[in-house]
Amino acid sequence: MTLLETENLVKEFGGLVATDDVNLTVEEDERVSIIGPNGAGKSTLINLITRRLDPTSGDIRFKGESIVGLEPHQVVQRGVSKSFQTASIFPDLTVRENAEIAALAAERGAFGFEFLRHRDSLTDVHGVARDTLDSVGLLDRADTIATDLPYGDKRRLEIGIALASEPDLLLMDEPTAGMSPEETKSTVDLIERVKRDHGLTFVLVEHDMEIVFSISDRIVVLSRGGIIAEGTPDEIRGNEAVQEAYLGGVEL
Amino acid sequence: MSEKDANPSAKDALVGGTLFGRWEKLRGREGTVVGITAILVAVFPYLFARAPVVSGFLQGYQSLATLILIWGIFAIGFDLLLGYTGLLSFGHAAFWGGAAYAAGIVAKNVSGDPIVMVVSGTLFAVLLAWVLGFLSLRRGGIYFSILTLAFAQMFYYMAASPLAFLTNGENGLTGVEVGSFLGVIHLEADVPSIGGMLLGTWLYAFVGVFFVGAVAVAYRILNSPYGMVFRAIRENEQRAEFVGLNVWRYKLMAFIISGGFAGVAGSLFTIHGAYVPLQSLFWTESGDIVVMTVLGGAGSMFGPVLGVGLYLYIENIVSTIQALTIPFTGIVLVRDFGFYWHLLLGVVFVAVVWVVPDGLWGILNRLRELAVDLGSKAAKRLRARSENGGGGQ
Repeated sequence: MTLLETENLVKEFGGLVATDDVNLTVEEDERVSIIGPNGAGKSTLINLITRRLDPTSGDIRFKGESIVGLEPHQVVQRGVSKSFQTASIFPDLTVRENAEIAALAAERGAFGFEFLRHRDSLTDVHGVARDTLDSVGLLDRADTIATDLPYGDKRRLEIGIALASEPDLLLMDEPTAGMSPEETKSTVDLIERVKRDHGLTFVLVEHDMEIVFSISDRIVVLSRGGIIAEGTPDEIRGNEAVQEAYLGGVEL
Repeated sequence: MSEKDANPSAKDALVGGTLFGRWEKLRGREGTVVGITAILVAVFPYLFARAPVVSGFLQGYQSLATLILIWGIFAIGFDLLLGYTGLLSFGHAAFWGGAAYAAGIVAKNVSGDPIVMVVSGTLFAVLLAWVLGFLSLRRGGIYFSILTLAFAQMFYYMAASPLAFLTNGENGLTGVEVGSFLGVIHLEADVPSIGGMLLGTWLYAFVGVFFVGAVAVAYRILNSPYGMVFRAIRENEQRAEFVGLNVWRYKLMAFIISGGFAGVAGSLFTIHGAYVPLQSLFWTESGDIVVMTVLGGAGSMFGPVLGVGLYLYIENIVSTIQALTIPFTGIVLVRDFGFYWHLLLGVVFVAVVWVVPDGLWGILNRLRELAVDLGSKAAKRLRARSENGGGGQ
């Protein structure tokens, strides 16, 4: 089943075409990576899908329904979650509360009137939060204030928040940016474990080619806002247009 | 990191056996919080206005005790918005004054029953908060604050002139006659016997019940999903939106809830004074509540009430001091000391914000932590001594 598709998607900033007629499809259970040189329009594409930006023209469909015209939180409620490029967490709350906020939105919807209900009674929310923290390996840190975590753990928490939203599709914007080699390795392990355990569909934007080639089913190459190639890691590795545009001919 | 995690449990084990440890466990429970609040509310006017020595030193009086509770309700609600949700409204005078006028107008034209006055004033404030929140929350940050200020000032000028037939304009709403509670109890009368010694007037008891209720409701809200969502919005609004929460509606609810608290307080203010000054809608009232909340400690449940207490104390009692003398001598330090109460308040405010940004409540918290530390050290020493003693036999 096709989970996500964009149809002739265009985004212009003044005279600059940041996204140029992109037709992208993501099938269920697929791991797709988006690569491209700086300024290729990767982040813009992600921001269009999460409704942070309005497209100039074209359509985005999730599970067959257009999501253009929805608010960002509505897109999340439909099942598209995003992990941010930086550790976008709730710094003064505990690790557990960080996960619970996302679980609350997943279990109880975007809004409710339960302001006189004690949150100890929300067992479903606690369950989801606990499972998520367990799967990102932060359960033993649950009572730590998030801002006291080391950077690598903050990024894991960031991914945990995205997972606690119980998405069908997870968009990851450079999950290993700014990480040490050890942190990068443990994050890749985390992504592979999550992919195994949750059978998650995800779209990954990443600079680190080693990661991209090791965990993707399919790679989409963007350049100057448009798709110049797509295919399996092996196909992309041998693609001359990609080498030309992306690395100026350097062997991948 | 693991050290830090291990720390609290070690501390629990150490403190757990002592009386203090048991208290620490009870401290967070809802019933405990509300119960202790009720006890403090009951003894406060006695200590403040009637107890030997203490009240003589404080120079408090009954009516000011009532006023502190009324503003306390206002501040608790305001802090839900400012301290917990991170939204600085500069227009809460609209809800405070609006409710005060609504309660007064209802008393003059429909019924002077105090319950009817509170309900109608609160209802008016909630509806107004809904409309103004809907309009102001379209913008964030400083623009939000300015919009709330502008709307509130609009109401001030409307009450001053175009609506003078309702509000009595510049003179304020006079001739408000507050009826008796349930048709039998006159609120100005003293509570009989020991209740009278503690509480003083029925009015204080009436306001006190609302105050305890406000604490109970606010405490429950903070422990509901809302409390968590509010803090999430304060911490990282964008992330809250991107986990799938309708941030806008939650912000509107925070605004309406705090408007509701302001409404209860504003209505009680009319009952307390049997008069509504036009001043109650002026922007300085919005500023006062911000100062009180920050002074006491924004983002804490009881801090703002302390801020209210200190602010009103300086405004009403310190301001009456003629000359500041060195105690037990006749040496005058500052003549017309009370005249400078605004300056004194400003200095206190700056000092608190500078030294302890989490306000008076932050100071108390630090003292408490110090006490826990000393307590656990003492317990450790005691245990070590008794173990040594046991080994000797």
